[in-house]
Amino acid sequence: MKWPLVERPVPNTQIPLYNRFYLHASPASQFDPVIVWGTEIDADALQTFLHERNRGGRILLTAAHALIRATALALEQCPELNVRLVRRRIYAFRNINIRMAFVHRRYSEIDLMLIEQANLKSLERIALEIWQRMLQAARNEGGRDRDLARLRRLPAFWFRRVVRLYGFLDRHLRLPTLGRLDGTRAGCMMVNDLSFPGAPPMRVYKPTRFPDKSDSFNLTLGPVESKVVTRSGQFVSVNVMPIFLRADHRLVDAQQVGRFLALIRDFLSNPERLAGGHYEQSDIDQVVAEKEKK
Amino acid sequence: MSSDRKGLEVDLMHFVQSRGTRYAQATLQTDLLETGMLDSLLLMDLIFHIEEAYAVRFDSDQVNPSNFRTIEDTVSFVLKQKALPQA
Repeated sequence: MKWPLVERPVPNTQIPLYNRFYLHASPASQFDPVIVWGTEIDADALQTFLHERNRGGRILLTAAHALIRATALALEQCPELNVRLVRRRIYAFRNINIRMAFVHRRYSEIDLMLIEQANLKSLERIALEIWQRMLQAARNEGGRDRDLARLRRLPAFWFRRVVRLYGFLDRHLRLPTLGRLDGTRAGCMMVNDLSFPGAPPMRVYKPTRFPDKSDSFNLTLGPVESKVVTRSGQFVSVNVMPIFLRADHRLVDAQQVGRFLALIRDFLSNPERLAGGHYEQSDIDQVVAEKEKK
Repeated sequence: MSSDRKGLEVDLMHFVQSRGTRYAQATLQTDLLETGMLDSLLLMDLIFHIEEAYAVRFDSDQVNPSNFRTIEDTVSFVLKQKALPQA
């Protein structure tokens, strides 16, 4: 059992008044606290960086891994975003954990995984964890996969009741995470890499909100597109990737959303800044050494 | 399924090329990473096609760029794995 949230909520005095209008509004006012901000990043810089790292690296890196690391580092600098709502109170998360959506190959559907303390992990470490989970899911071998299989077998009547009861408890109580299914609730930010080859250009994207209150923010990366811009008075073609952030105005305002997105943009456009982390390449050596011992 | 080099090459080439028009031009030496063809979906499908057809099991640390850069590299990796005694 883990307690993902700190014990005390953010004091009222520290919540901006404008956010409190949204926080305490009556549902009858039909307010909409969703903010979506879209921008784009320099895809050439990110792709060059990934190609270079993949030339000599021992684990395959993708844009999704870079996005997770960039998000975690940006959250480290913007701790006011690492929060969620419980009733009408705002609680901070203890750690910077990032949720990621991925395609569960066995069931051809979306599943979630949680990268814990992603701000402390190197890109290689993040990639290793993701490949491990994706292989496990595709083989249907993990504990979470067994739990998901049980959940799939639930009749619709019971499924609805379980989801509603859990949703009610999640909205009203500072719950611990108990198992493999609810473990993904331990992070405020969901990242979604939709930059797969063949994806259509992304002009507008409004990420949905997963029906638990931990999903405070969603960051989605779209596919690479060519664009003509002027640089020093010359027309040049550059590659860009769109990125969309969905945020909750009860937690943050547009200025904070903009500052956070600017940080993400800066990390992904200057990806050499993603290097580092307490776990480095030696982690992979350790995995290989353990396997050889067996 | 034939697991000699030639048979493997033909099978994996066909597997990649059948992904759509974008992949139809792929050759044994096409750099799947530099051309942006290899994403996580193709990678997982490729791994599990190999696992099912050739009884070779991949571990996460083997999701290594040098094993998947070209179809030729993947074929060499599979042949090397098949030559090893199975655990």
